[in-house]
Order: sequence, then structure tokens, then C-alpha cells
Amino acid sequence: MSTRFRVVHRTVYEYGHPMADGFTTAHLRPRTTPWQTVISADLVVDPAPDELDHTIDAFGNPVTRFAVHHAHASLDVASTVVVDVVLQPVPAESPSWDSVVDIAARARGELAVEVGPYLAHTASTPCDPGLAALVDLEFTPGRSVVDAVRGLCGRIFADFLFDAGFSDVTTPLDAVLHARRGVCQDFAHVACAALRSIGLPARYVSGYIETAPPPGEQKLVGVDASHAWCAVWAGECGWIDFDPTNDQMPPQRHVTVGWGRDYDDVAPVRGVVIGPGGGQTLSVSVDVVSENRQ
Amino acid sequence: MTSDTLRYAPAPGRFDEVIDADGTTRPAWQAVARALGSFEPDVLLERRRQADRLLDAQGTGHLVHEISLATDRHGVSAAQRSVSHPWRLDPVPFVLEADEFRRLAEGATQRMRVLDAMLADCYGERRLVADGVVPPSLLHSTPSFRNQTVAASGRAPWLVHYAVDLVRDAAGVWHVVHDLTDAPSGLGYSLLNRTVLARVLPDGLRTLGVAAVNDHADVLRRALAASAPAGRTSPRSVVLTAGPGDPTYVEHSYLATRLGLHLVEAADVVMRAGRLWLRVLDGLEPIDVVYRRVNDTRLDPLEPGHLGGGSGVPGIVWGADGGGVTLANAYGSGLVESPAVAPYVAEAGRHLLGEFLSLPLLADGAPLATSPVFAGNQAFPFVSCPVVLRLQLTRVGDEIVVMPGGTGRVLAPDDQPSRPTAQVVKDVWVIGAGQRQRPVVVSAPPQVDFGGSVPKRVADALYWMGRAAERSEVATRAARVVTAQLLQDPTLAEVADGAWAGGAVALLRAAQAAPSLLPLDGPAATERLQPELDATCIAAAAQLAAMVQEATSVREYLSTTTGRVLGRLARIHPLLAGAASQADDLDTVLVDLAALSGLMMESTVRGPSWRFLDLGRRLERALAVLGAVEAALAPAVPPFAQQPLADAVLGANESLVAYRRRYRSEVDFHAVLDLLLRDDANPRSLAYQLDRLREHAAGLAWSDGAALVEQASVQALAPIADQVVNGRIVALDAFVLGVRAPLLELAQAIVQRWFADPVNPMLVRGH
Repeated sequence: MSTRFRVVHRTVYEYGHPMADGFTTAHLRPRTTPWQTVISADLVVDPAPDELDHTIDAFGNPVTRFAVHHAHASLDVASTVVVDVVLQPVPAESPSWDSVVDIAARARGELAVEVGPYLAHTASTPCDPGLAALVDLEFTPGRSVVDAVRGLCGRIFADFLFDAGFSDVTTPLDAVLHARRGVCQDFAHVACAALRSIGLPARYVSGYIETAPPPGEQKLVGVDASHAWCAVWAGECGWIDFDPTNDQMPPQRHVTVGWGRDYDDVAPVRGVVIGPGGGQTLSVSVDVVSENRQ
Repeated sequence: MTSDTLRYAPAPGRFDEVIDADGTTRPAWQAVARALGSFEPDVLLERRRQADRLLDAQGTGHLVHEISLATDRHGVSAAQRSVSHPWRLDPVPFVLEADEFRRLAEGATQRMRVLDAMLADCYGERRLVADGVVPPSLLHSTPSFRNQTVAASGRAPWLVHYAVDLVRDAAGVWHVVHDLTDAPSGLGYSLLNRTVLARVLPDGLRTLGVAAVNDHADVLRRALAASAPAGRTSPRSVVLTAGPGDPTYVEHSYLATRLGLHLVEAADVVMRAGRLWLRVLDGLEPIDVVYRRVNDTRLDPLEPGHLGGGSGVPGIVWGADGGGVTLANAYGSGLVESPAVAPYVAEAGRHLLGEFLSLPLLADGAPLATSPVFAGNQAFPFVSCPVVLRLQLTRVGDEIVVMPGGTGRVLAPDDQPSRPTAQVVKDVWVIGAGQRQRPVVVSAPPQVDFGGSVPKRVADALYWMGRAAERSEVATRAARVVTAQLLQDPTLAEVADGAWAGGAVALLRAAQAAPSLLPLDGPAATERLQPELDATCIAAAAQLAAMVQEATSVREYLSTTTGRVLGRLARIHPLLAGAASQADDLDTVLVDLAALSGLMMESTVRGPSWRFLDLGRRLERALAVLGAVEAALAPAVPPFAQQPLADAVLGANESLVAYRRRYRSEVDFHAVLDLLLRDDANPRSLAYQLDRLREHAAGLAWSDGAALVEQASVQALAPIADQVVNGRIVALDAFVLGVRAPLLELAQAIVQRWFADPVNPMLVRGH
């Protein structure tokens, strides 16, 4: 059974003055996954860009680069996406986490190339000593990787407060660990860093969750902006997604855009404008609705 | 002192470059030691001072670091500028015998091939990861890995320019200290050091048959052209720098000059339609190859991992990915200079190329070999220090060329070989190679001459340099004239109830470009004189500093001699800013400013760049003449005050001698005005400046500018009657206003038409 989601993601910059030039890189078009079929992906940019290029980045994500070379006082990027999503299966039985660590460390060939990037600590996901407190109690010797990750996911959900006012994309991990608060990007970074600190490959996943919950279900956190969660590599069971912000494994009503090591690899919109200095305002709206059930 | 040895005793038990274990001078060094040993230490000391001076003249770029500037048009605060003291060149070279150099060159060449192969693999197939040569997470956890570059794999070569630091251990074995692959430095310094040492030790270089290094600039230029995107028949290369704030800006500027390429900053170029373009006076010109001296973390603000906010060239990596422009070295090349990657280079060489690296990596803490370093005129004039050698390699097509020379960096006692702190370097001499190395044959097409095109920023800086030069001269000369008049006749200050003093104060205010005061007379005028003299000197100093700063960012457009004069002015300028400048100090500044203006006229090619420099000078001079006339001649004063005031204005405009030669009379008011305003044969007159401005507007084919000059010229024909109203000669005031208005409009129009370009990149993000 699949669910069809329609996502409308608008990003509007008001620069206050006409800008002479603007360059933008966007991760807005969703990738196809074993659980997600892309029906359509439309990107409308106003003013119309003078150059636009769709490519695939190093992680296999669609990426769009565009540039506006004439005077423009605002930039409106509207992405409309329709995808069919099925619920990811989570295996009841999975190998022990320590055996998965072992396989990843000794990986050769295509496997090494596939999991290697997601073992790496990055500036946003450093190997912080504060991660041990999250990891040690869950990752006991021989415990199955799915159980242990589910434990970590629940622990982050329980211990950390969702606080949109606390952090932005530049808040370092240790500040989030210390304050025990942040937003979905921070929690995804915490989970990735924690898993990598013990040698488990972990992906940072960028996407959306449904805005209005189905009748009788609770509204999820993080609906008014893009969302972020994680995937762990579970050996023979492959990659399994989980959402520490909402304590879900697998995620229930999520639309995947792309993945990488951290936020920087898949930032939804990143740009540079050239023109007179001054203030700029940014407004972002995300609307996700399920269209029908089959 | 014997004539064939150095008075030098190296530390025992270590390999020494000069003295072997038996205490005898090594063969490669015998002739050099003879050449150096024949100098008394005080002679060597003088040679080193000479080297200091020569480096100083080239290194005008670092002058900006020594001057504290109140304002900065480029928006870089003094605190942001890193301090870059000039290095010192040791008069003792580092000597390598030809066979030994060949072995090192082969080892370095092999290493460059291996690093290139590693880059191709790490950003492509990743056999090193798949086959377990490197840990799976190594690449993605190394900050200099540019992950997104993978999509653009398949380019070759990755490295056009490579430098490697080598050091000999105490047992005499050479080791690699580290690799420089992102934006390798040192080539320009090596070429510069050689030109300096060639002047300091000319006989040594000639008689010993030291291999020449100057070809290597050509090698690099050809290598850059050869790396251009396919199908570019006449590729254009530029040198990209972060600007005068970069600690190695001197090298960038020097190297650009030696390469004959434009030195550009990020704001000088722009991406359009997948290609990179140079912003020149009349639009955009395409660029094919960027020799980047900007680290890749500061190259493109669109890329993840970019440091430095909006700085850099947005989209340039996109353009390089698409094959529109070549980055040399390629974006991501810094990966293999990372300390995290270095331990795997040897195994990667075996795995990818089946090669065993001949130069091993240096182990931490290994004792090192020593070389003699000149320590000054003392009992033992040479001390023994370890020296790290930097070799420069350039890849032209399939061939790798190693420069037969380089730079040796002296290590202070506690230095790590990777971080020398001594700021003392040696020129590296390869001797015994016989005749010149065989010439490099390359099929790369020649670089297109950029001669006619001037980047907007350069024209901008030259224009303001011209204005600041003129402005500082005007202020200095006004201070000089008033000081001299007071020295000659101390009673002048009180003459005619302070009428002269009031006029002199007004003249000084005009020279400072300060707002005029209400008319002063009596003791008020006399008391005001000295503070205004001091303020005028400070204004002159500020303009000098501004001029040097503008000059710094366009150093490669100015001759070496110009650089030397700028260096002198930068050093004199604190004298002016200090209290109570002496007439002698003012004279020194005036002489150097005269030298500078002579060089601008005689040693600058008459292209668009010179035109903007001269445009700035002429415009400022025209405004200065008007200002002086308005300040000191428009007020009606008693006849006995008029004479010294007219003298002052003539002197301030360097027209006093001309006046005396022409009129041989006491002052005649109309004759003075005629000489200052209407005499087109007097190079200081308003008419003369208007003629030059007219020529420049015509030369630029700029009709709007020509129209404004014409307006000013028409106004300059207005008659000047003697009628006095409210103590002023009204016709003169009207004349000044009438001519000045279109000139001020012209100044604005120049900026609008030729320089205005909104370049203030801001980073934007969105969730």
C-alpha cells in the first residue's frame, strides 16, 4: 500500500534592493528510493533564471543550480513535488550492532565505497565525548542493531527538547548536546554522530513530513519547514530510516528529498547574491498533504 | 680568514651540507665556499643589507601592512590584515650538485604523478577505498575532500603546479616533509630571491654555472595555457588572488608580472553562461584558465564547506565542472596535501602506478642535517641550521618540469620542519648541470595579450591613486610654501592686521580639502596658522597612505622603480604625520612625489590604465588650482598682503619661477591669474589640466565626459573683473564656481560610468 504525497515548498527572499546577480544551489527535487516513487517534481523560480542546470550530486541526489543575472529585488523558489511512498519494512531480526561495526570497518569493494562516506565524522557531526552518554546504555555487546538504534532514537526523543528558537544551521553539536535542545536537523546530527562514534554507518536524510495528520493521529513536529532524520546501515538488512525528532522507526509519513553526511551536503537552498548590502528577509513555507490512499 | 673555506664549524655528528665527516669541504661546495670565503663578514653584512633593500623595493605589497589607515575603500579593516613582515634572504645559498638535484627531481616528479593519480582515483573510481588501501571513511572525514567534485571526475591533470618540501636527515637521507597541492606557494618568491641574489653575488652565480630558474615562469604560463578547456584556440589565463590582505600577496603580484598575466580578485571576475569573465572597462572578456592562489575553502561561496561568508567567485566550481573554465589546480586538489592522507601516499603509489616512492616521508622528531647561515659580523659569522628545501614542479601536457632551484627555508631551533618561523630563506643553486637544461617544447598556443583590457578594479584603484598622489602633493606644497614664507619673514604673520595670515590659513584649508572658515584677521588669523600647518601635514600623510594603499592593489601595473619610490614615501609618511614637520621633511616628500609623477609620465605605458591614473591627477590638480585661487586670491586684501599671498599661491602651484621668468615684475594680479588659470603652456594651470582631461575623454571615446570638460572649458573663458563686493572679488568667485561645478560632476560621472559595479556578495540560505 502506498501513499501519495504532494509537497509545496516555497522559499522567498526579499533583498530590499535590486541585486545584480544571484547564484543558487538547491536540493529540492526528491530522489527515487526503494520506498519512494517520484511522480513529478516541478521547480518554478521567479524571476526566471538566466541559467539552470539539473545534475546528480556525489551522493546520488538530484541537485539544481541556477543563476539570475539581471536586477531582482526578490527571489521566489517554489518546488512542487508528488511522490508515492510505501512504509519501509523494519526487520524483526537483525544482526548484532557490533558485528555490523566489524563488517563496515573491514569493508572492501563496492561496500566500502557505499558505507565509507557515512562512517566519517564531519564538522557538523564530530566525535564529541558527550555522545557516549547517549550511546553506552543502548549499545550493549551483542544487542541487535535495530533494537539498539531504536533505543538511541527513543533516548534522543525523550532527552532533547524541540526548541526552534535555540539553534540555527550554524549551532555546533556540542552546544546542542549540552543544552539538550534543538530542531530536527540538530537531532539528526546528534544521531548520526552517535552512530558513527561507535563505527556504524549513518546517513543524514533531508525531506518533509505530512502537515495535517490523518484523523485521530497527532500532528507531528517539524511540519512547517523541511525536515531531517537519519538512516543506519544494518549490515545484511541494508539501510533503515528512523526519525529521532518523532521517535519513529521506520518514519511514518515522510517524503525523502536526499541524503548525505550532514546538513551541508544536502542543504535545501544555498545561494549568493551580489548587490548593494542591506537587510534580507527569508520566508519559507512547506505544505505536505497526502492526496489519496491506495 | 683563508680564502677557500668558510669560517664555520657545524655541529658534530650530523650531516652538514658543506663540511663532511672528515672536516673537509664537499666538492659541490668548494667553489662556492671560495667565493663566499673571500668576503669579510662586514662585506657579507653589506650584501645582506643590499638584499634587504632589493626585496623591499619589490615587496611594496607589504607596505600596506605597515601603514595604519584610517579609511579603506576596500572595506578591509587594519585588524583584518595579517602582518606579513618581509623575509630575509641569506647571502649564503643552498647548493645542490647536479646529480643530487636530479635524484631529488626524479623523486618529486614521481610523487607528483602519484598524487595526481590519487586525486583521479579518490574523486573517481575509488579503487584505494575498494581495495582497502585507505580506510573506508578516510576521504569523507578529511576536511579538504571536496565530495561534490566526484561528479566531475575524469579531468586530467589534477595538478598543474605542485610544490614539495624536502629535508635531509642527520644521516644524509632526503625525506618529504609535506606536499603542497591546493594552491602551492613559493614559486614567485624563488624567482624573486634569485633576481636579488644575482645582484648581491653576481660573480658567484656567473662563475659557478648556476642553473637558471627564470625559464620556469614561462613553463608555468605554457602549462596553464595547455590546461585550457578543449577547443580554446587562444586561451587566456589569469592569476586569482584574495587581494592585498593575503599574507603572500607580494608573491601573487610578482608572479603575475613575471607570467605576464592579469592579477585578479574575486570581484574582478564573474560567471555567466557557464564561463568565467573578466570585468573590464567596457564589459566582459572571457577567461579560460584560472591559476588560483586562493585556497579552495575560499574559492566559491556556493560550495559546501566554504569559509569566509560571501567572499570568492560564486559559481566558479559549477563552471569548472561543466568544462567552461579550468582551475589550476583543480578544485579538491588539496585532499592529498592533508596530513591525514600523507601516510597512505606510498602505498597508493604502489597500488595505482606500481611505483615505489624514492623519497620517504619524514618521521616526527628525526634529527636533521645542517647548513651554514650567515649570522652577522662576529667571531663565527656562520651558524649551522637545518634547512627545508621547497622544489617547484609544473606539468605541461604530459611532461613534468622541475625548476632547477627553489627556496630553502631556515629552521629556528624549536621549529617543526613543516612550520619554519625564522623568516630567513636561501636561494637554491643547482651547480654542475652544464649548459642550460634543454628547452621545454610545448605545443600550447600562446597567451592572448591582455594589454588592452583593464579590469574595472584596476582602473578604479589607479584613478584614486592619481587623485591621492596629487592631493598629497598639493597639501605638502602648501605647507612647504607657507612654512618657507614664515621662515624668511617672521613678521609676515602680523602684516596688514593678519591679512596674509588669514589668506594663508584659507590656502592651507583648501589644500586639506577642509571646509573654509569664516574670514579671519588680526590675532585670530595669526594663532590659527600653526594648527592649520600641522593639520595640512597630517592631511598630506593621510593622502600618502591612501595612495600607497591603492598602489599596493595594482602593484603589477607600476614599474619596479615606482615600487621603490612608493616604499620610500611609505617610510617617510610618519614624519609628516608627526607634530611640527620640518621644511626638510616636506622637501623630501616633494622630491619623492616629483619622482613618482615623473615615473607616472615616463615609465608607464600609455594604455587605458595610465589614462585613469592621469585622469585622477588632472582632475585633482584642476580642483586644487581652483581651490587655491578661491581661498587666497578672491578675498580683497591690502596691496602689501597681496604680494606674499600671490607668491604663496604661485608657490603652492609650483608656478612662482615661471611667473618670475615671464613677467620679471612685482606681482600683477591679472598676470598671476592668467598664469594659473588660462596659460595652456603652464603644466600647473587650469587650462592645461582641462586640455588633458579633454584628451582623456576623447581617448576613452566618452562623449558624456567630453561634454562636461567642454562645459568647464567654456566657463574658464569668463572674464574676471576687479569689482569687490563684501570684501571679495566677485567675478573670481563666480569663475571658480562656474568651472568647478562641471568638474565635480565629471568626478561623479567617472565613478558611475567606469567603476560602479555592485559587488557585495551575501550568503543566503533557506530551510
